[in-house]
Amino acid sequence: MVRLLLRFSEEQVPQPITSQVILEYKVPIAILVAHINSKGGEILAEVPDEAQEKIINAFRKRGVSVTVPKLIEVDAEKCFSCGSCVALCPVEAISIDKDLSVEFDKEKCVGSTCSICVDACPARAIKSVKQTNSEQPANNRKK
Amino acid sequence: MKKLVESSGVEVAFKEVDVVTTGTFGAMCSSGAVINLGHSDPPIKIEHAWINDVEVCHPGAAVDLFIGATNMSEKHPFEYGGGHVIQDLVAGKEVELRATAYGTDCYPRTQLKTNITKDDLNQFYLLNFRNCYQRYNCAVNTSDETIYTYMSKLLPRLRNATFSGAGELNPLMNDPDYETIGMGTRIFLGGAQGYVIGEGTQHSPKNLNGTLMVKGDAKKMSPEFLQGASFTRYGTSMYVGLGVPIPILNEGLAKKTAIRDSEIMTDVVDYSVPRRDRPKLRQVSYKELKSGSIMINDKKVRVSSLSSLKMAKKVSQTLKSWIEEGTFFLTSPVERLPTDSVFKPMRQTQEIPFVVSVMHPAVTCTENEEIRAIAERIVTKSVNHIVVVDGAGKLRGIVTSWDITRAMAEGKKALADIETHNVVTAKPDEPLEIASKRMAQHNISALPVIDIDKKVLGIVTSEDVSKLLGR
Repeated sequence: MVRLLLRFSEEQVPQPITSQVILEYKVPIAILVAHINSKGGEILAEVPDEAQEKIINAFRKRGVSVTVPKLIEVDAEKCFSCGSCVALCPVEAISIDKDLSVEFDKEKCVGSTCSICVDACPARAIKSVKQTNSEQPANNRKK
Repeated sequence: MKKLVESSGVEVAFKEVDVVTTGTFGAMCSSGAVINLGHSDPPIKIEHAWINDVEVCHPGAAVDLFIGATNMSEKHPFEYGGGHVIQDLVAGKEVELRATAYGTDCYPRTQLKTNITKDDLNQFYLLNFRNCYQRYNCAVNTSDETIYTYMSKLLPRLRNATFSGAGELNPLMNDPDYETIGMGTRIFLGGAQGYVIGEGTQHSPKNLNGTLMVKGDAKKMSPEFLQGASFTRYGTSMYVGLGVPIPILNEGLAKKTAIRDSEIMTDVVDYSVPRRDRPKLRQVSYKELKSGSIMINDKKVRVSSLSSLKMAKKVSQTLKSWIEEGTFFLTSPVERLPTDSVFKPMRQTQEIPFVVSVMHPAVTCTENEEIRAIAERIVTKSVNHIVVVDGAGKLRGIVTSWDITRAMAEGKKALADIETHNVVTAKPDEPLEIASKRMAQHNISALPVIDIDKKVLGIVTSEDVSKLLGR
């Protein structure tokens, strides 16, 4: 799955753009986070890898700004499980497990659109990294 | 020990247990290392020195240096500092040393640049002035802005809390009368054997805030238990793993080492108040802190540990295994830690001004008043700012003479059209300098002073500030 950050302008808010894209391309789009009011807003959506290109194009064709947010990754070598990040995470993607290690749930994390934990890590073990398509290595992926 | 005392009682526990091992792994800023470089040829009497661009202190003769954990790299401040230098050296990495000197007849050299590893050093001692706080505050932020502190990132309006310390695993908490801990006590320090060399600075035993001063051979330590740390907008520090073995010499110690997190209380402190004595919001136990959330004013606040409980446990378990293997021998202290010393505040021969000392009564109005009446008040009271309050005297907004002028020009009649609701304010116990900075930051010339319930106490203007601070 690939996460996309969709930005809607004031004029686009009343239009059923996301529904249109889903219906036209018959692609399931999961909405992870949405902040929208009458002035505009953002949706963090998740789409299947293989549909990434056409979904990006479909939204862009309709004038929606599409960016690929970075993922948050934890360097297990550097993390010494202090847990400073745990209470900061708004989606509770970080927890302390039974053996007192800090556990990071990539599925729950909303990525660089949040990043609240990154500058709070004293070990500097949390980083934003570019999303990579699971089927192709990052270095020969088309942008 | 804790379980045994609970299940079988103190008497049995005293007979069965010889030693209780403890541990903690937290950010300990008053840490550092003494190194001796040996002499260069021609020799140098170092005046200033840097390791990996972190300035190190030159406290003694020619080639002795002290690497302070909180000194920051000149190239990468806030990200790399003395703690990281120590960790890199301990890990066996090569670091770059630069030094300058004024040159003497006996030490003629004035410039030096070389690369060194720990094997090149004569001595490399960890020497920490203050480690192992017995317990520590829980930090929160009640202000409207995120603050970055040595207690890490504190989100506005009580959206998170942080705490530090291992609670029931903390060395000093298990021997609160310091019966077995003092100068000469052999301990676990940074993955090797070290020693307590006395009480730490700010040692405050009467209110259970004891500290340790420790020393150990850093060449034998491990980078796992000594880790450089970066606190955004605060600076760098070092996480230190420290464990103390407590021999169960009497039933009293059996009872004391059975202490539980639920019995260890600490204060929830509001770090948004930039003062020495910050407001304490409540008392909380380490059991609650470790549960992941605490209640403050009926609000559930998620709380994180800053020190690593996982590593604290690893410290105490490693120490236990050393004792069992017979590679670590307990010592009795030559002199016990003081139990009656007091941690005094600084003597200040110059007082600094606070908002409360310059604020004066605010000229106010209510929202149902006409602009004309407010304009008259500006003239008769000769002020530039009118604070809008409700019936209870609580802040609603602010109107300036400029707003009134604009209203006249644009033909506006209602106060609601010109009133600013998003008001930048000050608190009475804030240092004036901080309030002054806030005015400059927002490009405004006055701040209503309010209490925690938003009641208007007065106003402080840039004129008040310039009169007092002379700028």
